[in-house]
Amino acid sequence: MIRSLSDIKRLAGEKGPKKIAVLAPEDEEFMLAVKKSWEMGYIEPVLIGNEGKIAQAAQKVSFDLAPFEKIAGGELQGISDLGIKMLFDGTAPIAGKGQISTSYIYRSIIREEARAASGMTVSVMTFWEIPGSDHLIAFTDSGVNINPDLNAKREIIKNAVFVYHLLGYPRPKIAVLSGQREVGGKLSSYEDYEALRAAAAAGEFGSCEIVAATSFTEIFLGGRQNPMDYSRLKEAELPHIFLVPCLDMGNIICKLDLFLDVNRSSLVATSRGPVCIPARSDFSDVIVQQIAMCVVLADRMGKEVQ
Amino acid sequence: MINTFNDILAAAKQGGPKRLAIPAPTAADVSLAAAAATAGLAIPCFAGDAGAIAVLAAATTLREGDYELWEEKDPHRSLARSLSAVRSGAADILLQGGISAADFAAVLQDRQEGLGRKGVTVSYASLYQLRKRDKLILVTDTFLNNRPTLVEKQQILANALGLARLLGIETPKVAILAAIEQVNPGIPSTLDAAILAKMGDRRQFGKAMVEGPLDMDCALSQAAAGRKGLQSPVTGNADVYLVPEIETGHLLAEALVFFGEMQTVGAVLGTAKPALLHLPFVTHDNRLTEIALASLLVGNGGGNG
Repeated sequence: MIRSLSDIKRLAGEKGPKKIAVLAPEDEEFMLAVKKSWEMGYIEPVLIGNEGKIAQAAQKVSFDLAPFEKIAGGELQGISDLGIKMLFDGTAPIAGKGQISTSYIYRSIIREEARAASGMTVSVMTFWEIPGSDHLIAFTDSGVNINPDLNAKREIIKNAVFVYHLLGYPRPKIAVLSGQREVGGKLSSYEDYEALRAAAAAGEFGSCEIVAATSFTEIFLGGRQNPMDYSRLKEAELPHIFLVPCLDMGNIICKLDLFLDVNRSSLVATSRGPVCIPARSDFSDVIVQQIAMCVVLADRMGKEVQ
Repeated sequence: MINTFNDILAAAKQGGPKRLAIPAPTAADVSLAAAAATAGLAIPCFAGDAGAIAVLAAATTLREGDYELWEEKDPHRSLARSLSAVRSGAADILLQGGISAADFAAVLQDRQEGLGRKGVTVSYASLYQLRKRDKLILVTDTFLNNRPTLVEKQQILANALGLARLLGIETPKVAILAAIEQVNPGIPSTLDAAILAKMGDRRQFGKAMVEGPLDMDCALSQAAAGRKGLQSPVTGNADVYLVPEIETGHLLAEALVFFGEMQTVGAVLGTAKPALLHLPFVTHDNRLTEIALASLLVGNGGGNG
């Protein structure tokens, strides 16, 4: 079972190098992450994009690209399509986003999933490593679905459970989050929670459990009537997966790592392998962490899925 | 300038005790009122079962003469009595007491019989004390408004700016949060944020720096914002964070407490008179600070900017 990002780094070193289709690595910080990941034995990059910009970025971080395959690409959608196709046809077990908008990547993934008739919905998982916790937690969907309806949430849960099974958690616990509280009437996100909990109990999502809590107050205090006690927060048993009600909430909360004592790592798990999708604001160490996670996921998907 | 919860307490004490109207008080409410009285912040006015309240009061530091008792055995009548006292000026601050949050919120928002005001959105702001430096931040709306319209967001922001200025922040810096920092017609929160930011540019919120849309990394980190090509004095140093809707607001408020272990207090804003709601993740000690904060709002239009 993978319990921490340290576990991920260790395993990435053991299971790498994996080929990664890197889409438009035209930014210094991202190129530095590719360099570090290569040096740590995680990846063997295939660099796709504007050759001049790629060379310029590599030069800035003193990275010799001579040993690596390079594919010239022009417009961004074309670069994205090419890299994601490499993932789906098995040429590269991982794809990674450089200086390219996520919307291009998601479009490419959706097309390839449709061609593969996988039925898989695209969703993003953002993992947090919390000091003192014995497992990684993940927020999903933190990147694609703006206001997912009940059916979209079903698919997002399936994706997340699939990933947690790969990480070695046989029965992950899921919190379906909602802004439901003492005022404001019944929110649709709470109605979704009720429906999803029933579906999970009926086995719709495989081996997992949706916990009877929709707020952090309920999760940490055991109920909204219980007294607040900061000294007991570390004792709380945290679910593994937090299904967020909407994109605004998911993206805003998952980036609290800049404020809190947690480490963050995000990915998209497609039916053929993981896609590394760092935020454009991420620095190289965070990107390296995300690449490491994709390496481990790719290794496990290769063994257990394909 | 008020930078910490202790500063709030100190400032409120300077203003002298305020009369708290507390309907159907629980033991915790009586204990809190006693602490507020001891701290020189409050003169409790309890409305409810006088005999039962006297027993609860006797178990605290309160003595006869330290508080007022209004005999109203029915909880709804105790709320009406307390509300009437606050509306008439016989009391300064309305506490939730033993009234359900839903019933109490309805009173706050009632523009005819309650504390609501015509044309003003009643909102809730959560204040946090940063752990690494003396600074207070406001997050709003974290409790009352489910899916505020643009007009309501404008008022929620005005409310929060009123409170920020009351705390001594002359030119509050505001981050209008959304999922992304770019204006995307497919993501409504980014459109509202852009409009509010433009209103800010045109000084429609008075002296304030309003930036949006900002995703959380840009709001929290100037370096992260710089990576996205965004230069603004708001990034990395916002005083006010306006959230798009309640799913984000309430869960963000909770996340800062439970994952960030940050101390928090809250304030009802936009009401005709100050009022206090009890949120489950505010400690007993911090509820005392909430009374102090509400005391600062007395005479300031319930914090409406």
